[in-house]
Amino acid sequence: MTEKQLIGKIRELRQIKPRKDWVVLTKSQILGEVERERVSVSFFPLWRPALATVTVFGILFISFGFAQSSLPGDFLYPIKKIAEKSQAVFVSEKELPKYNLEIVNKRLDELNEIAQTNQVKKLAPAISEFQANVSEAAKSLAKVKGQDVEKIVEETKKLEENKKKVEDVLATKIETEELDNALSQIVEIQIKDLEERTLTERQEEILAEAQNDFEAGNYSQALEKILILSNP
Amino acid sequence: MANLRKIFSQIYDKYIDKIYRFIFLKVNSEEIAQDLTSETFLRGWESFKNGNKIENPQAFLYRIARNLVIDHYREKGRTQVVSAEFAPIVDPREDLEEKAILTSDVDRIKQVLVNLKEDYQNVIIWHYLDDLPIQEVAKMLDRTEEATRVLLSRALKTLKQSIDLRNQ
Repeated sequence: MTEKQLIGKIRELRQIKPRKDWVVLTKSQILGEVERERVSVSFFPLWRPALATVTVFGILFISFGFAQSSLPGDFLYPIKKIAEKSQAVFVSEKELPKYNLEIVNKRLDELNEIAQTNQVKKLAPAISEFQANVSEAAKSLAKVKGQDVEKIVEETKKLEENKKKVEDVLATKIETEELDNALSQIVEIQIKDLEERTLTERQEEILAEAQNDFEAGNYSQALEKILILSNP
Repeated sequence: MANLRKIFSQIYDKYIDKIYRFIFLKVNSEEIAQDLTSETFLRGWESFKNGNKIENPQAFLYRIARNLVIDHYREKGRTQVVSAEFAPIVDPREDLEEKAILTSDVDRIKQVLVNLKEDYQNVIIWHYLDDLPIQEVAKMLDRTEEATRVLLSRALKTLKQSIDLRNQ
């Protein structure tokens, strides 16, 4: 291929364009009002703003509804993510680790559905979304303190179950190193804290089991035991 | 505010295709390209409506887009990397006939381009796809015109070598 031919081929990449429906939807999400101004309505002028508002909200409402079941790579998926991000704004800092773990579980559910239905094209974006949410969850877990452990136990357990399900279907290991490190730190701190307390014989046994779970990397099981000891 | 919206709406219409393509060629995923493109314009709009003077909207949007792509890869660096060679190449065009236009050569360029270093990608996209004159590309890259010409020539050479290597 000569240089001239190469430049010609490079120029063919101009055909890469975003989907028109996505362009319109994104613009209305960013600028909102602009699209409303352009809605052409043939009714009496006074009806225009009201009707346009109802239409925009109607479309948004329906889109949000449909977006909930969308998967990475789907047209409506960005709306689902926007909804999640907006929801996160209203979540308190204490609840954020739990919320982020719920989101990671949602990503695993999506991955599971994609894997089950063999939607190969959606696999790469789904893994990418999953990893991004794992990173976010790991960051928020770093801020978890003693009394907040209770909040994350259930979601952590669910996460391990979901992860196993996806790994079985894909026959490959799903990497969650960052999350594991964050959980490992929480468990370690909690175990050290419990070691300094006066425990009954039965409680000592549970703590020993929790330590074994910790060493084996079964953080959700260790957390469950820590929770029993923290709330006798 | 309505006036600001109108101005930014025009900026959006003018640059949405270019910014999307710029990001898509770097991330090779429709989903991620959509995400990063909407974030680029959202940040642009927030800055614009807060009264920041934007003298060159194109350079301003490209700067945001570049930073977002860098952040994306920085985050990805800690996680699993799906090689562009093996990842399904998501074609953003719906029309089948249109899809057929891209030959395997073009697909190969797309795959090789995504693996080039950032400055090489930028200079190729801006000069050959966006038709920006060297003078403007130089400004965006914060280099002299001469240095930009040298960069462009090296970028093209590297792209050609990588394609030839794949063809062997």
